[in-house]
Amino acid sequence: MNVPAAVQTGCDFGDLVREHRAMVFSVAYHFLHDRELAEEIAQDVFLSLHKNMSGLQSPAHAAFWLRKVAVQRSIDAARRRTRRPQVALEDVREPATRPAPGDPLLGELLRKLIATLPESQRMAMVLRYQEDLDPTEIAEVMGIPVGTVKSHIQRSLGLLREKLARRGVGER
Amino acid sequence: MDWLEEELRNALARKEPSPDFDGRVATATRHKANVVMMTRRWIAAAAAVILVIGAGEGYRWRRGEAAKEQVMLAMKIAGGKLHRVQRGVAEIRQ
Repeated sequence: MNVPAAVQTGCDFGDLVREHRAMVFSVAYHFLHDRELAEEIAQDVFLSLHKNMSGLQSPAHAAFWLRKVAVQRSIDAARRRTRRPQVALEDVREPATRPAPGDPLLGELLRKLIATLPESQRMAMVLRYQEDLDPTEIAEVMGIPVGTVKSHIQRSLGLLREKLARRGVGER
Repeated sequence: MDWLEEELRNALARKEPSPDFDGRVATATRHKANVVMMTRRWIAAAAAVILVIGAGEGYRWRRGEAAKEQVMLAMKIAGGKLHRVQRGVAEIRQ
């Protein structure tokens, strides 16, 4: 990026990479459940950012832009993958011991169960619980109606509760 | 927020990419910038070559046209002179 544009918008490419790499990488990683592919996508997203620096209006706009592009690229990558979904429900084995709430094993189980959700529901869940976005913001990023986002989240939560209950993980 | 939502927040907490990520992004952006610069240079060089060839061809065409005009003029002059000579010969015969 040229210096006058950076000064004007307050956006420096290096700073944006440092500030948002975890967000961009995690959106792809939690959605695809594939670390290597997630890194490739994150790198690609930042290359696009570098190309489009002149179009950025503010650091907040840059964050919104990065999140939106990360979501789009992750969905595209998932669609390009030959096997879909990458993690099938039958592959998610029951843990040897029943994980209790707060247990790292439960975290891993949840990530695997999320990976079995349909694309749109999975992305809504990632944006809701990783990025802490509300349904209106998720709808804006994903380009779908707010009602659809709400139903995706409710349906996914219901499904996760059911699957966890079947594995003996329930209310505290 | 219920226990499941709390667990989901923990499970989906942001993670950092590998430590060399920033370096790889910097290398990739530099590489891309170099490719763009080289592409622009090649386009400029190709445009210059086309311009030189075009100008040369234009110059040759104009020279050809000028030579053609000179030949036509010479033929007109020669034709006129020949016509006068033919008329003179015809008059002498009569």
